[in-house]
Formats: sequence, structure tokens, C-alpha cells
Amino acid sequence: MAVFPSKAWFDAVRAEFNADESFQGGGGGACNTLMGAKVGGVCYLLTFEGVECSVAAEVAESDLAAADFILEMPSRDWQEMIRNIADNKGADLHHTLNTLDLAREDGLSHSVHGDQYREDLFFRYNQTLQYFFDASARITTEFRE
Amino acid sequence: MSEKPRDTTGGGVTPPASDPPQMEPNLKWMGKSHQWGTRVKPNKHGLRLGDLNVGIYGEVPPVWTDQTRAPRGAVARRGVPPLGYAIRDKVDLWADSAADMYEEAIQRRWAPATSVPWEKLAPLPDDMERAMCQICTELSQYANADVESVTHWQAQMAYGYHEIKQFLATVSFDGARHMEAFRKRALANGGGLGLEGPGEVNRMILESRGGWTEAVLYLFLMRGLFTQTVYRYLERYAPGEVERTLFAHCLEDKARHLTYGIDHLRYAVNHQDDQNLILQQLCIIGERVLVRELNDVVMREALAIVFGNGISGAEEGMQIYRRMMADYINRYLATLKWLGVERKMMFPAELTAYLKAS
Amino acid sequence: MSEARAHDTGTTPLDLGWMDRQGEWGIRATPSKQGLTLADIQIGSYGEPGEHSDNQTGRPRGATARADSYRIGGYQVTRKSEIWLDNASFLYEEALQRQWSSATDVPWHTIKPLPDDIEQAECQLATFFTEVEFVAGDVPARWIASTTPDFFEPRQCLLAQVMDESRHMDVFRKRALANGGGLMQTSGGTAGVVGSIDLARDFTEMSSRLHISGEGAVLTMFRMGELMAYNEAEKAMYRLCAQDEARHVAFGVMHMRYMSETAPERREEIQCYLDEAERQILAGSQNPAGTQTDSSEALAILLGGGKDKYDEGVKKLIAIRKRQVQEYIKRVRSTGFGDRFDNGRSSLLDGVAHSIAR
Repeated sequence: MAVFPSKAWFDAVRAEFNADESFQGGGGGACNTLMGAKVGGVCYLLTFEGVECSVAAEVAESDLAAADFILEMPSRDWQEMIRNIADNKGADLHHTLNTLDLAREDGLSHSVHGDQYREDLFFRYNQTLQYFFDASARITTEFRE
Repeated sequence: MSEKPRDTTGGGVTPPASDPPQMEPNLKWMGKSHQWGTRVKPNKHGLRLGDLNVGIYGEVPPVWTDQTRAPRGAVARRGVPPLGYAIRDKVDLWADSAADMYEEAIQRRWAPATSVPWEKLAPLPDDMERAMCQICTELSQYANADVESVTHWQAQMAYGYHEIKQFLATVSFDGARHMEAFRKRALANGGGLGLEGPGEVNRMILESRGGWTEAVLYLFLMRGLFTQTVYRYLERYAPGEVERTLFAHCLEDKARHLTYGIDHLRYAVNHQDDQNLILQQLCIIGERVLVRELNDVVMREALAIVFGNGISGAEEGMQIYRRMMADYINRYLATLKWLGVERKMMFPAELTAYLKAS
Repeated sequence: MSEARAHDTGTTPLDLGWMDRQGEWGIRATPSKQGLTLADIQIGSYGEPGEHSDNQTGRPRGATARADSYRIGGYQVTRKSEIWLDNASFLYEEALQRQWSSATDVPWHTIKPLPDDIEQAECQLATFFTEVEFVAGDVPARWIASTTPDFFEPRQCLLAQVMDESRHMDVFRKRALANGGGLMQTSGGTAGVVGSIDLARDFTEMSSRLHISGEGAVLTMFRMGELMAYNEAEKAMYRLCAQDEARHVAFGVMHMRYMSETAPERREEIQCYLDEAERQILAGSQNPAGTQTDSSEALAILLGGGKDKYDEGVKKLIAIRKRQVQEYIKRVRSTGFGDRFDNGRSSLLDGVAHSIAR
């Protein structure tokens, strides 16, 4: 059981993601990026190196400036996505990262720096990022309201 | 200063970027299909390119007259300016195996960075390292000729024969991997790159101007079979696991290229009058070029040193080299015979000598 | 003396003179966490190439030249600024690691019959992609063969791109033929007209059209495809294509950035290419999200959820179009050519993008 959002939750997902070699195929594979995640007022930085997510850290909001891109939604939308992933053993057609980015008025992915080359890493590694969040279906999540 | 873009398009037919799509659709495209109701199901191998060849989508005409990128079986739009594809006769490029080879190439993909156990490289005696690096240098240059030849021709092939264009995309990608893999090996074990190859056969491949079939003969059969034979022997006599893994991967790739090459040459011989005679003449020319290249001692000595595990064993290594050459020539002749190309006339004595020597 | 008498099958003593003519020696690249990558072997004199290449024999960069080698390359791209980018090695390795198979990595079994208007729209779009995707196969292929192998890192990226585009061409053909539909009418949007991707006579000109504007636009369409997917197969298909496309866009952005920094004398010329690209590719028939075409109508039907919800689909299309233009503008800014949006040169600022750019 891990509470979302928390460093422990991201670490638990990391462990699942890193342990399954199937996530390295099918369009996954080497992924090198620093991804930010903002859940309500809590911020995280996740380091993807090669085929692993090597670090998850809770950080100050100002630290998100270092991220290539930041995934940001209100807490209720994060919860909906993660519940959907848990219920379906992976995101359904309406809850994939790209779909949320396009379908939500405010989008999902953005950056502080505004450099589209770096923001494009969200697209370049999209399958890996999807695998990562889909791996959360393998842990039991408790939501911090 | 504000400057408006120049209109260099010769006309102003394109609406400005700011025009949103009009609200009223015309929907005239709906219902425009030569064959509707097609439902190809995946099988235990997934959904492969060749599986799609059903109904009109599998009809591959002897000449592809369309000069645009209209996919085979689609409804072509009229009045589209041509792109000038030069190779539009099926006989000039076709091989039935291409679609299967394409999918096989994708399934059997590898990455030199991670599929080779580089951490197991161990220092070699200087003569062995120099020989291995020289071999890698020349093989990397061979792969470069593969890449440059294939990409030159691929872009000239008509869209209707998409299986061939797609298979060739895997061939040039394989070539990229081979260039990379041999370079990596040369720079990973205390050595470096060696002396460039003599380039006679490369020149022959790149200067093939008589058509893709001619290039296939030189690239895939004459050079490709030679390279494949070299890979086979290097896989057998390589000094360590790294080299063995590397050559085994390259060998698989090369075998696919050869399958296409032979398949295409057979198709060309079977569907075009005198193609076997043309190939015979090209062989006579090409074999002389090959003999001149084989006169160069560098690759031969490097191979003999590796096969013999050092200069001290080079005499034995040279025997293995001659056996390798005999294998190559026997297979080359057998393949040509199977294709219906007679190769007794003016066959170089220099090549026959390998058969006798072994 | 005849060639036959001169030929040696390996019976004479070893010459070994080549051992003294090898490139820089003592190189020992070591694998990093991600294997032995191209970046790992860029060491010593085997690192970055010089600003200009006189290699016309096709030898591997850093190998020792032979004085008597033929000049068989005929390479057109010989200046580094014409094709270089700082992270080509990285993008190439990424491409190798992130390959996928349209036969087995797309869950085709999840496709179920769709309403006829939806299936027709899906097939119209698949026909369009089957038609246009190999522009980015044919065109880079031509440039590979005409670029010196001294700049092999960007060439490797282009070879990977040809492979990617081949897969895109086949995955959309597969989609069109997998669910009771078929191929539909082509757009003719890739015709050989002045200013098209096909006819560019300079690499950067080509790259600005292909990688920045063309593929940037297609990337948005693939993202839309993922959004409007009706099953897991379409979801995967579009997502995986979008990943590849983003890599190609990254190549273009980084090359243009390098060009901007190292060849400022060409900036004005590049601005002209961007002018053309913005008028033709972003706004023309190669970009269904940009103007009303058969494919844009198909997109609207898919986004809306049916022919009867066309207007709703158009609204979504316009919203996504804004994202497309916004992303394009930010990419061009990233290349170092963003001044065109500040000084009023860009035609994109005339309309819908005006507020976005600010």
C-alpha cells in the first residue's frame, strides 16, 4: 500500500517499472529525461536513465524549472487517472497521457523554460511514460484527500 | 524591420495558415475505394506486411505507371504532378520474399550498444588486435558501400512495389548498424582503425548504372556473399565472445540480404529475356574487379592472422583463408548455376586457384 | 605479367606493411551505463569531424587513407554545418533502442467493427498517412548517399528515420485493411512541385521542410490520432508513430540550431525556407489539420464521433490546430530563428496564431 501523492508511491511504481523487462520493448526502451510531476501543491522530479527510472524525489516548486517537462493536473484528475489505470490494468482509451494532454483544456504537459525541444521529450518517450504510470496498477494506492 | 515572406511557389493556391477548416464538409471522398470490406486478421505471427496482399491489394502489376505516392490499391487522385520514379518495372526490383524478410528484419533487430557483451572484451596480443581492427575497418567500409548503394536506388523505386522499398529500408538500417558495430569494436580494445580498403569492388557497386538488378548482382551476390562468408569464418575463429556475438548478428542480417538478392535475380532471369546472359557478362566484368581487389594483401593477411590466432599461426590461418575463399567461390558458382547463369566462360583462373588450393 | 600470374592466393610470405599504416592507436572506449554507445567511441582523433571533409573514398572517419584510392564518393554534403547536430549519436542510439514492430506491438485483436462513417474516416486518414509517410523515407535516403561518411552520425539518424518511416507506411496500410474497410483516395499532396520536400537541393532546406514543419505537423496529427482512437490498436499505433516522429523533429531542431550558430551567413536563406514551409506545408494539403481537405474532414468526423457530429469535430480540430502552430513556433524559437515571430516576418502571425505567439 502506498499513498498518492508521495515519494513512497513513486518509488513503489519505480520498483515495478524497473523490474519488468517487457517495458523495454514494444516501443519502450532507452529513455533519458528529467520529468516533473505536480500534484496539487506537491512537486516531484523523476529521473529516467536508460531503461530505468532511477530517482524519484519530492522537491520544491522552484526545482521544477530543471524538468524537461512537467505533468500537472489538479489532484482529482490525477486520482481519476490512477484509479482508471488500476481498474483497467492500464489506462483506458480516455486516460492515456497523450489523450489527457490534448483533451484537457489546460493540457497535461508543459514546462517552465518553454523550450519545445525539451517539451517534445514528452512525445518522444510517451510509451515509456505510459508504461511507467500503467505499472501503478500493480501496487495498491491509497489517496491522500 | 518587418518583411513579408516571398511567394516562391509560383502561385497562390494555398490558403493562409490562419484559415480554419470551413464548416460545411463536402464529404466527396466518402465511398471512394476500389475494394471495401477488407478485413485481414492477425495470426500467430501478428499482422504482417505480406498478410495484407488480399484482393486487389495483392495485385502487383508488371509495370507501375503511376508516378505519385499513391499506395497500391488506393484510388489515385487525377492530375497530380509526377515525382519521376525511375524504376517502375516489376522485373527490375521484385522478389516474392521481400515482405517476409522485412518483417523478419524487424523481429530480429539488435543494437550494437547493448546486444554485444562489450564488458567481456579482453586485451589481445598486438598482432591480433591490429588484424582485428584492420578487418573491422574494411568491413565498416563495406557496410558503407551497402548503405550508399541501397539508399541511392531505394528512393527511385515506384511506390506500387512498397514491399521492396520497405525491405531495403531494413537493409540500409542493417548497414548502419554494421558500420557502427565494427567501428565500435575497432575502438574498444586498445586498438584503432586501420588502413582503408582498396575500394575496387565498392566502386563497382556504387557505379552500377545499368539498373538495380546489376547493383543487386554486385552488392548482394558477389560482395554480399563474400562478406557473409567472412562473417561466418570470423564467427567461428573470433578470439572472444564479443567478436563472436557481433559477427553472429551481422551474419543473420547478411543472410536476409542475400535471400532477397538471390530471389530478385531469379525473378529477373525468369521474367526477362536474356537476363541470364546479361548477368553472365556482368559477372565476367565483376569477377575481374574482384580478383584485382583480392590481390591486395591487407584483408587477406589480417584474416589469416585472426584465423591462425596470431602471426605465428598465420600459415595455418592462410589455409583457413583459402578454405573460406573456396567456400565462397563454390557457393557463388552454385548460386549462379541455380539462377541459370553459366559461369564457365572466362571464369578467372585466379578464383579457380582457390578451389584447387583448398 | 598477367593478372593470373600476379595473383597470390596466400602462398607468399606475409607483407604486414599495413600494420605500420593504421590510424591512431591505443584507443580503448569503455561501455557506459547504456552499453557501448556512439558517444562512448568519440574519443581521440576519432571524435568530432573537422569543419570540412575531403573524404571521397568512403573510408571510415579516422582510418588511414590510401593514396591510390578511387574518388568514388561524389559526395555533395562535405561541410559540417550543412548537416551536423550536436546530439546525432544520442538520437541514433535512442532510435535503435526504441524500435517497434507493427506486426506484433500493435494489439490488432482489439479492433472491432466500427460504424461505417467512422471506419471510412479512419481509412481515409490511413490512406493519407500511407501516402505521405514515405516522403520521409525516400528523401532522407537520397541525402544519405550524397553525404560524406565523415559525418556518419547524422547519416545514421537518417538511416534510422528511413526505417521508422517504412514502419509508419506499413502500419497505416495494415490499419486500412484490418477492419472491414480499405484504402481510399489519395491526397496528391506530396507531388513534385517547387518548394516541396522532395525537390530541395540543399540539406538544411530539406530538413527545414521535412523535419521542422512537415513532421512537426504530422507529430500533432499522430497525437490527435491517439486522442481519437477507437480501440487499443489505434491507440498504440499512433502513440508509437508519434514517438518516432518526435525524434525526427528533434533532429531537425538540433540541426537548424547548429546551422544557426555556426553558419550565420546562411540565416537569411534559412528564413526563406521557413517562409515557404509555413505557406505550404503547415498550411497546405500535406497538413490536413491546417486546411480543409478530405483528410481534415475525416479528422473532424473522428474527433467529433461521427458524421452527424462534424461541427463538434471541427471545433476540436481548430483547437488542436492552435496547439500545432504553438508547438511549431516554439520549436522554431528553439532553433534560434524565433526572431521571425517578433519582427512580423512569419505569415503565421497574420491570423489564428497571433495571440498564441505573443
